[in-house]
Amino acid sequence: MLLTDGVGRTLFEEFASHRSEARGEEETGWVLLGLREAREVVVLATLPAGTLRDASVAHVRFNSNAQVLASRIVRQTDRRLTVVGVVHTHPGSLRHPSDGDLRGDGQWVANRRGKEGVFGIGTADGVATPGDLFAYQPRSHMQCMKGLRFSWYSLRQGDSAYRPIPVELTIGPDLARCLHGMWSTLEFHAERIERLYRQQSPLRFEVMSDEWGPGLLLILPLAETGDSLRVLIRPKEVRYYLLRSGELLEVHHHDEWVDRGVYLLLAELAARA
Amino acid sequence: MDFRPLNDTERRQLINALRGNAESDRAILMDRRDTSFLGTADEVTDEEVISAIKSVPCHY
Repeated sequence: MLLTDGVGRTLFEEFASHRSEARGEEETGWVLLGLREAREVVVLATLPAGTLRDASVAHVRFNSNAQVLASRIVRQTDRRLTVVGVVHTHPGSLRHPSDGDLRGDGQWVANRRGKEGVFGIGTADGVATPGDLFAYQPRSHMQCMKGLRFSWYSLRQGDSAYRPIPVELTIGPDLARCLHGMWSTLEFHAERIERLYRQQSPLRFEVMSDEWGPGLLLILPLAETGDSLRVLIRPKEVRYYLLRSGELLEVHHHDEWVDRGVYLLLAELAARA
Repeated sequence: MDFRPLNDTERRQLINALRGNAESDRAILMDRRDTSFLGTADEVTDEEVISAIKSVPCHY
């Protein structure tokens, strides 16, 4: 299994950040997107469990709504990207998936292409190294840094146990990292954006960041070539724009429900046509 | 005959497909009716990805 350095950084940084938060004792996790090559899996993106996850010290169930939206955004660049596995953390030192994990994951991989998945377990029992300047691998399937450890396993359909899987790093991005800073905003809007996407297939996404912070731009092409309706979603606001004949117009239309806002604006444009 | 220009996403997908074909012999799919680009054999549908995400089991 190949992890990009971007994915490796995300996992260690966000696990450390999670442990410092109010819900730091709970389990957390990430869905992994990547490529299934002939001989190996390459992990290229992480989709966090989300603030709306259902979790405790003994379990975690991800909020999948924002993960679905994020997968649509990330896969705009490469349609080969698929779900290759799941990482979750244990608050103690259990470095191996539990029996409960085996039952659930066994059924899950049976319905996946290739009938196999990779699974990571995060624990806070890594041995700190002097200075902690970089991660090290005490064993081929483990990575440790700053007291944190990720242990990696593979599970195929019908397996009675997980198999430790060697992990290697390569230079590359976490394709979803740009979304993590606005993940709670994605969670808030995900259902309505998903509904809009299913109804308006030309809808496209762009991720942007400026002095006002991160934002997600929805672009819906209109009938005239080059014209589009644009919705900028930020943590505290939703703004609507119209790109017409090369000119960008801001629309004074403040509807925080994105799908309703788009359809009201389309109706207004149709009435004026 | 339609000479519609590709949008950014379509252009990126086509470039990736051409690169995959040149470097790794990956097949490029073509619409038999109008010879338009239909993606590559390695592409995964949204439905498959979304089904996988939504069915991730509870972990313990």
